[in-house]
Amino acid sequence: MSTPDAGLLVALVGNPNTGKSTLFNALTGLRQRVGNYPGVTVARKSGTCDLGDGQKVELVDLPGLYSLAAASPDEQVVIDALSGNIAGDRRPDAVVLVVDSTNLLRNLFLASQVAELGRPVVIVLNQADVAKEQGLRIDTELLSRRLGGVPVVMSSAWKGEGILDVRRAIASAVANQTPMKRVAWPTNIAAALTDVATAAAADTGKPVTEAEGQRLLFDTNPSTADRLGWTLAQRDKTLRSARDRVRNSGYNPMAAEPLVHYAHLRIILEGVVTEGAGKAGRSAAVDRLLLHRFLGPVLFLGIMLGFFGSVFWLAKFPMAWIQSGVDWTKTIVAPPLDAYPMLQSLLADGIIGGVGAFLVFLPQILILFLFIGILEDSGYMARAAFIMDRLFSWCGLNGKSFVPLLSGFACAIPSLLSTRTIEDPKARLATAFVVPFMSCSARFPIYALMCAAFIGPLYGPGWESVVMVGMHCVGLFFAVPTAFVLTRLVLKVKPQPFVLELPRYQMPKPRDVLWRMWQNAAEFVSKAGTVIFAITIIVWALSYFPRDASVAERIKASNPTAAEEVVKAKTQAAYVEQSYMGRFGKAVQPVFDPLGFDWKITVGVLASFPAREVIVSTLGVTYSVGEGAKADSQHLRKAMQDAKWSEGPRAGSPIFSLAAVLALMVFFALCSQCGPTIATLAQETGGWKWAAGSFVYMTALAWLAGTAVYQVVIRLT
Amino acid sequence: MNLEAVIVGAIVGFAVAWLVRRWLAAARRRKEGGCAGDCGCATKLKPKK
Repeated sequence: MSTPDAGLLVALVGNPNTGKSTLFNALTGLRQRVGNYPGVTVARKSGTCDLGDGQKVELVDLPGLYSLAAASPDEQVVIDALSGNIAGDRRPDAVVLVVDSTNLLRNLFLASQVAELGRPVVIVLNQADVAKEQGLRIDTELLSRRLGGVPVVMSSAWKGEGILDVRRAIASAVANQTPMKRVAWPTNIAAALTDVATAAAADTGKPVTEAEGQRLLFDTNPSTADRLGWTLAQRDKTLRSARDRVRNSGYNPMAAEPLVHYAHLRIILEGVVTEGAGKAGRSAAVDRLLLHRFLGPVLFLGIMLGFFGSVFWLAKFPMAWIQSGVDWTKTIVAPPLDAYPMLQSLLADGIIGGVGAFLVFLPQILILFLFIGILEDSGYMARAAFIMDRLFSWCGLNGKSFVPLLSGFACAIPSLLSTRTIEDPKARLATAFVVPFMSCSARFPIYALMCAAFIGPLYGPGWESVVMVGMHCVGLFFAVPTAFVLTRLVLKVKPQPFVLELPRYQMPKPRDVLWRMWQNAAEFVSKAGTVIFAITIIVWALSYFPRDASVAERIKASNPTAAEEVVKAKTQAAYVEQSYMGRFGKAVQPVFDPLGFDWKITVGVLASFPAREVIVSTLGVTYSVGEGAKADSQHLRKAMQDAKWSEGPRAGSPIFSLAAVLALMVFFALCSQCGPTIATLAQETGGWKWAAGSFVYMTALAWLAGTAVYQVVIRLT
Repeated sequence: MNLEAVIVGAIVGFAVAWLVRRWLAAARRRKEGGCAGDCGCATKLKPKK
């Protein structure tokens, strides 16, 4: 990776949904580094940007925000980064402000606030293609002059247009150090700002900039005062009198800042934008249909059914190819080890059987993330959040809960961390508590296995997607009343309005979608080769040992006339049953008996408590130990379909009845089976009380719901 | 003890040791404020010193 010259640092700042990250990717290519800001879990994404003529700068992509009035940790990071208050990070040498060309006034408000920091600025009017489509013409030269001569360039990062102009503009800003024209504060407000900055500097003994003075005067959030060490006792009187002074000049102190900035910007934008004939409102027309009060949820459900149906249908053949590859590997690896049955079983039954059973789901994971990428990049995901908002506002969750809950369908851990954007601690706690109910992608392999082995063959492929959507809704079904009780009765959360900006519909960019799909596939394969690989070996050892030779002799003696193959099969079954895993499974099985689980499923369930996807490889091992190279294609599915109860009142009936299959899926949909999630919940809630509560509540709920499903369905079928 | 048992024992022992080491490392990362998950998210990285 090339390194930036002379240590120049350039920050990329903008409102959300302005194409900031797309521009960052276009400027840095794949030369990116991802890390954390110290002390907070906000990602620091930086890369090397080539400005031409061999000059390079470090470009840092800051989180999107609407104003510098910090309310959440990621907004505070932007302010600290721009002010040079982050340990180990330099103050940026220039700031690139990414602005949505179709909404200059609102987007330039942030730019106008950033101008107060006095740094050299580049204004990038992004999404120029959309502005052109809407018939908007922007006079960039006039805007540049009115903003004090800072470079103003148009780009369409999505199409890769204007990127060279952006590079040149950054080079010019770094070289010329031209700051943007600042707002002219009315006399009384200017005096109040001076009073606050002077008093803060005197009380703390630290220099206080004009920009810091504005944050102290206008923000209700005390983060700037806290950072300066200006205590409440010291600042209370000064701020009160300064705000009175603002009020006496005819401004509400809390609204003065935007009012003055917008007045300033309206003068600057006069005559800059001219409107011609365009195709405005296409997104609005589509939204009238997709966000319709009744039709919207129906279309949402239809899209989800099509989504999961396609995942099954498209993945069918690649899955069969991988399964054939796994079987072929067994036939190559096992025969040369006939003289070493223990090693043969470890490699063929344990490692290849277990890891292969997990890896076979790779095509479904790839297609799943391809579709998720398309839905996100097309702008539909935000509409899905809007549709779900009606449901969640009913149960009292904060508006900002949607992003964590939505991303919980991929993985609960980043979702729990993203609850930090919720200011109200009670709402944050309630959101974090229900996030693990969202059906994360780790649950997908068990649903897929059960659907492919039982639901599809029994009821047809259409039912696979219905059951899949149903399982994703089970978590939501229980999350809603849980949130209702928590927010309304336990925590008594005050309802807050939800503001969601709906991004414009656009054609997803193949490179971005494929990149995300690749990252998730790499993570899945890496997990198969590391954690699943190691757990598979341990599960195999527990299912293989101890191997008492007397077991084989006893079986042979009690079946003197049976064929050799029959004796061998009975011996293998007896070995697995008397293994450590078999004994443990049989001891715990009565707990799971009301859900219709036999001891092998019980072993799978127990082994899955650290990570739920382990069940697939565990079943792969427990159903193949002793089979060696004989395993035919789709072995695990067939072994599960053929499995029957050997004793008790259900003797002779299939273990995987429809009732047991549904109970198993419902149990996995609700159970708290993820060690890192529980640990992260403890970390985010500041102790183990809520994490332990979540574990007990979800596991008990899963057991009760699984039992109810089994007992009802077994009586109906 | 035969060679087969030694090889199998070594493989199983290595798997157990690797998992224990990984879980200890995850606990340490959590203590430092980072994400210890297997989700592959950027926040899994250690905070900058």
